[in-house]
Amino acid sequence: MNASSGMPTAQNPSARMPASKRADLRPSTQRPGGGSGAANAPKLTVSGLDFHYGKYQALKQISLKIPEKQVTAFIGPSGCGKSTLLRVFNRIYELYPDQRASGEVLLDGANILDKQQDLNKLRAKIGMVFQKPTPFPMSIYDNIAFGVRLYERLPRPDMDERVEWALKKAALWDEIKDKLKQVGTQLSGGQQQRLCIARAIAVKPAVMLLDEPASALDPISTLKIEELINELKDEYTIVIVTHNMQQAARVSDFTAFLYLGELIEFNDTNTIFTTPHLKQTEDYITGRYG
Amino acid sequence: MEQELSVDVSAARMQRGAMLDRIFRGATRLFAIFVLAVVIGIVISLLVGAYPALKKFGFGFLTSTEWNPVTNEFGALVAIFGTLVTSAIALIIAVPVSFGIALFITELAPRWLKRPIGVAIELLAAIPSIIYGMWGLFVFSPLFADYIQPWVTDHIGSWPVIGPLFDGPPMGIGMFTAGLILAIMVIPFITAVMRDVFDVVPTVLKESAYGLGATTWEVVRYVVLPYTKVGVIGGIMLGLGRALGETMAVTFVIGNAHEISASLFNPGNTISSTLANEFTEAVGSIYTSSLIALGLILFLITFVVLSLAKLLLMRLTAREGKRS
Repeated sequence: MNASSGMPTAQNPSARMPASKRADLRPSTQRPGGGSGAANAPKLTVSGLDFHYGKYQALKQISLKIPEKQVTAFIGPSGCGKSTLLRVFNRIYELYPDQRASGEVLLDGANILDKQQDLNKLRAKIGMVFQKPTPFPMSIYDNIAFGVRLYERLPRPDMDERVEWALKKAALWDEIKDKLKQVGTQLSGGQQQRLCIARAIAVKPAVMLLDEPASALDPISTLKIEELINELKDEYTIVIVTHNMQQAARVSDFTAFLYLGELIEFNDTNTIFTTPHLKQTEDYITGRYG
Repeated sequence: MEQELSVDVSAARMQRGAMLDRIFRGATRLFAIFVLAVVIGIVISLLVGAYPALKKFGFGFLTSTEWNPVTNEFGALVAIFGTLVTSAIALIIAVPVSFGIALFITELAPRWLKRPIGVAIELLAAIPSIIYGMWGLFVFSPLFADYIQPWVTDHIGSWPVIGPLFDGPPMGIGMFTAGLILAIMVIPFITAVMRDVFDVVPTVLKESAYGLGATTWEVVRYVVLPYTKVGVIGGIMLGLGRALGETMAVTFVIGNAHEISASLFNPGNTISSTLANEFTEAVGSIYTSSLIALGLILFLITFVVLSLAKLLLMRLTAREGKRS
């Protein structure tokens, strides 16, 4: 298992840039779309975000703009805070009393960290898929319908339609259309993960958070998930955390490199992987540490 | 030379090891068979002891409410009724309360409160049943008779259908009190099992349900409970098994009257309290035999309840298997 929220890995301090220099570079490296890709309006705007696990500060003054209907990847070594950052966006961290976030995360102009924010509505807008497939202990059909029923009261035919729609979106319909009554846990790992994606889609979110969605899957299932991400970005803003840099390069339009709780570099994926501005990013990309 | 020697030594060791292994295997088998022999022995002695009474009263022993040592007429219905009713009351109260406690400990309580509550529950389980009996008789019954019973009778006693259940003189002792004490006694067991099975629900599973926007109750109802249903039912059955057989505490507070009455506030009797009260003074072979027959019935009830629970669990798992 990837301890993505554990302690930071041991590190050669000299590989890091002085904070001052990094700060100078930040404005120019943080404008998404400044490179090759077309500029999109930001869907999520993070500014001055701090995050604490008890006394341990896991995120330090994170600021970035996640563009709409694009795939944004968070990369970095274990414990760099990439999963933590993802978990801020739907405030799932609030299940644990000693975890706190402060700063600002704007979704459609409203700060989701605001205490007034309705958590259920937020989570309807921001779906999440986890590292391990998590089908609920119920039938495939009910797995999809579960989330929908939380928000909408649909008559049976409409619900059937919605389930079919979501499963088709997740490229799973053809494989399981005859087994909707089976329990979800009987599917293969890759199918389970696509079921979880379908479950998130069914609620019709605007943003999909994927926390290492393919790291527990075999290569073919991984490929299917990546193809799926490519199709989904036409309609959804996707944020993916991944350990796998090839995966980040394949699926994402923008990439953020985090290290020890700080955002080191954020740019369009091409730039990050071909001509990163910072040596530290380059070292990580080329596998010199991490 | 040296090597040969070491081969010899290890061969000897292996031989000795094999013998020890045989002895060990034999000993464990003996212990296992011993358990079986004890169960069979108990059943046989119950059957032999109960035979005279069962021969005399036949099937009527189960349906007769008579219990008269003077005329040597005995029937088990009052005791069976009391046993089932007190256990039912105990479960009706204990299951929701245990569920709430387990849920609070696993899902809602702040960390500093989890341990104290957990320890309190374990201490509750460690209190000997006779202490519950004494507390029930000397502390709880008077309070119950003075404050709770009159209020309940006044407010619910006149309702249709369930009213008669709560009608009657406020004596403090009776079937309801027995059921309540039983509930307090089985709560720790049911709670402990529920807490343990709730704890094994994977965090990511709960997080994904929360991530869809589900409330705590929705997560518990649709994810935690289905995931743990086998364990939850097992815990309830464990509690039921204890409630059915509990003797001392019930004997103290049930009132020990050989009658079936509509009101739960009236005294009654259970199988085990009848046995505890009357075994020492049973004169005559039919009286003794009738008591042993009661014991046999209690054994059968417990056996049937536990078997039904097993069957239910097997069907639950089978149904899930069939869906694949």
